[in-house]
Amino acid sequence: MREVFFMIFSVFTVLAALGVVVSRHAIFSAFSLVLSFFGLAVLYLLWGSSFVAMLQILIYTGAIVVLFVFVVMLLDLKKEETLDSAKTGPLVLAGVSVWLFSLLVLRALNRATFFKSTNIEAASDMKSISTLLFSKYLWGFEILSVFLLALIVSACVLARAEHMERKADQ
Amino acid sequence: MIPASVQILHWSHYVAACLFALGLFGFLIRKNAIVVLMCIELMLNAVNLILVEVSMRSGHPEGLIFVIFIITVAAAEAAVGLGIILNLYRAKGTVNIDAFRELQG
Repeated sequence: MREVFFMIFSVFTVLAALGVVVSRHAIFSAFSLVLSFFGLAVLYLLWGSSFVAMLQILIYTGAIVVLFVFVVMLLDLKKEETLDSAKTGPLVLAGVSVWLFSLLVLRALNRATFFKSTNIEAASDMKSISTLLFSKYLWGFEILSVFLLALIVSACVLARAEHMERKADQ
Repeated sequence: MIPASVQILHWSHYVAACLFALGLFGFLIRKNAIVVLMCIELMLNAVNLILVEVSMRSGHPEGLIFVIFIITVAAAEAAVGLGIILNLYRAKGTVNIDAFRELQG
């Protein structure tokens, strides 16, 4: 059962990711991104990590893709570039470099020693995650919160319309 | 939790490699800046999948902690990147990345 789900959802995820890359309009890319993130959440569930699956659904499909869809709707993207408009030279070069890079990554992954062990007991425990997060990685967690505050301020500054600023000056 | 007999789950780093390769390919060939950001999100998700697999197979929850950090930074990157894209669209009326070549001299 788990095998069947894994095969179905890994193919589903990769096909949805392909849809992100080859879609002509950005809105279809965003919807394919939702499907891909959903498939990844199912893969996390199959690995027994329900916490990360929940985070994936809540944050990625709930917040990030909504941001993408919002911006695509906000901008007037009538004349979209298509894949045909890309020259074949850069396309071939990109394909070859991606192929070489994935060969390198697969080689490194196959040689990695941490794939040898199969001790699957403690990792998914919510208590162990939170204990580690609030003891060993406490400083990282706190820095992350300050980082999010800086993010809020910078996103507000960046997205503010300048003509509204000028109107306020007059 | 998962019996060690489920060997096919051990293929998930190949799925992650496929996702990363697709994201990199899209990052290199697409011209729409929004889609380029989406491809970056795909690559980050591929790394998350590998981290979950490593964490679950080795029994250390450290990988899941890094997944939490990566998800936060990805959300930050999407928000700031889309704000920048919004400003670029206001400046030029397009999000085609070929239109922004002022810095190349």
